[in-house]
Amino acid sequence: MPCPYTPTVRPLGQILGRPPCSPEARRPLRSRHLQFPRGRDGGACALHAQTLAHLRSAGDGRSDLRGLLLASLLSLACRPAADRPAAAAGPLSAVDDAGRTITLAAPARRVVSLLPSFTEILFALGAGDRLVGRTAWCDYPPDALAVPSVGDGMPPNVEAVAARRPDLVLLYHSGSNVTAADQLAGLGIPAVLLHLDRLEDLGPAARLIGRLTGREAQAESLAATMDSLASQPTPARRGSLVFVVWDNPPIVIGRGSYLDGLAALAGARNVFSDVAAPSAQVSLETIAARDPDWVAVLSDSAAPPAFAARREWRAVRAVRTGRFLNLPGSLFGRPGPRSGQAVRELRARLEAGGAP
Amino acid sequence: MRWVALGAAAALALAASVVLGPAAVPLGELTRSDIVWSLRAPRAVLAFLVGGSLGVAGAGLQALVRNPLADPFLLGLSGGAGLGAVLALATHLSGPWALPLAAFAGALGALALVYRLGLVGGAALDPRILLLGGVAVGAFAAAITTAVVSLADAAELRNAFLWLWGGLSAASWDTVLVLAVYAPLPLAVLFAAARPLDLLALGEEPARYLGADVERVKRRVYLAASLLTAAAVAVSGVIGFVGLVVPHIARLAWGHQHRALLPAAFIGGGALLVLADTLARTVVAPRELPVGVVTALIGVPIFALLLRRWTIA
Repeated sequence: MPCPYTPTVRPLGQILGRPPCSPEARRPLRSRHLQFPRGRDGGACALHAQTLAHLRSAGDGRSDLRGLLLASLLSLACRPAADRPAAAAGPLSAVDDAGRTITLAAPARRVVSLLPSFTEILFALGAGDRLVGRTAWCDYPPDALAVPSVGDGMPPNVEAVAARRPDLVLLYHSGSNVTAADQLAGLGIPAVLLHLDRLEDLGPAARLIGRLTGREAQAESLAATMDSLASQPTPARRGSLVFVVWDNPPIVIGRGSYLDGLAALAGARNVFSDVAAPSAQVSLETIAARDPDWVAVLSDSAAPPAFAARREWRAVRAVRTGRFLNLPGSLFGRPGPRSGQAVRELRARLEAGGAP
Repeated sequence: MRWVALGAAAALALAASVVLGPAAVPLGELTRSDIVWSLRAPRAVLAFLVGGSLGVAGAGLQALVRNPLADPFLLGLSGGAGLGAVLALATHLSGPWALPLAAFAGALGALALVYRLGLVGGAALDPRILLLGGVAVGAFAAAITTAVVSLADAAELRNAFLWLWGGLSAASWDTVLVLAVYAPLPLAVLFAAARPLDLLALGEEPARYLGADVERVKRRVYLAASLLTAAAVAVSGVIGFVGLVVPHIARLAWGHQHRALLPAAFIGGGALLVLADTLARTVVAPRELPVGVVTALIGVPIFALLLRRWTIA
């Protein structure tokens, strides 16, 4: 087959299954969500309190109790932030997800973030003022837009990154980024490769970024919130859904993904959670037979997706009855400090839609 | 006997594709099932029509350019269709039929350009220039496509490639109807050209001496085969291998007479694609394989087997 496009096609997992890298996740979106609390402690603790409050108010009696427990744990975690100086003295050293050891003489002062989630984490740690470069997709918080962009970051433009004279570069751990990190290291610029595919990855990523920016206490409390969010079991009693990433061929989200975890926390069952891959091509027939209550799409508009008008898709009950969940990409497409907010919003949408 | 075997294989493939699928539908409920009626049946029919069209188009083009490597997508159509699809996504054309229509328009654009290039020497369509022109136009369209994809930031663009790589997920009775209305005319033109195509195999000069209107046949075969391929690419993307291997398999079994070869390529191509699609839907269920992978996995061994048998005999 004479298909001359191979060089531009990325592995499916990278395009679709890993929300932080997925183009949907990177689409610019006007932010209309939660303002970042930006107190002296970086606002991290305030943010957690808020997250918990919302989780509690949205939940039933049991999660109320759980929330209280968490809140007390958090207050423990937050307390040292007030007492301890933010920056530790002496050289800092850490091992990233690629197994590389990074040593900094002092906490990083000039950081380039090459993933929207890293940018959000930096701001949530109160280190947003250290950001000197970002990707074109980093659209949250709004303050990030004032920082110069170094391109779309796929793959990173090493020259543009180096021109920002960073003392730390944060990269998503992928094949092409390993090369970029090596090139940056060759220029004497420390670069960190981090996984950020699922909710569970948020805590470790926040801790490592916090360590290298001298924001350990804030990072610890953010990570604690994220870890507790990721470990909260929620009964799936708000119906079932399918995440449709692309309609022809139909590509859906499977178990090994951020969105699958998000759905579980919101109390919805992903009908393709038996698929181990982050995303997979499936038959329309399978979607119709599994009969989800909702069809979820990452979309910034409220209109039903174009495929809703296609005849073959009308074999799916949720499409016939117009039960679509349009989830804005900036909030739902990437794991980050706002994941709790994404869970709450999804939960509210599921409840507002009525019983399945 | 050969025809009976081919017919039986086609009927078997069609029956299997309606009965088998990732969703469990009991045999007794087959005729009442919505999944069978609105998904499996149109998909089987569409696969048969697309596979048959590609088989016939491939056989016609191989005879026209007198090159066994010719394939319906060699003449720049896949590049044109890809550019059309990507432009539709980049300019946010909406509507359920935007993508297939844009791909069809792109394929027609490439067709017109290659056809015009083929006529550079005057009124005579030169098959060699047609081949070179097809490759050049295809590469040019692919370059523009890649530039659009890398410069625009519409998220869907990368997914256009998935669509372009072929598949029958878009099958519905609507798509079947479109192809069933469209395909008979170019198919009839190709079937009618069976005798002159036999003569053309001897070379253009001998064919002319034997009474064939060579220029007219070349033009008609090129346009009909390309129009068939453009429609196939619009409804199902670029499904490789069927148009390349099926004509060769048919030629090994039916010889070089196009009167038998073209119908055999149609039924054989249809059966192969139906079978390939059934396997693509079922072997890794609930996941699905790209159908082009399966056509190659089935087609190559059959081809190798036949090649061995016929060269030994």
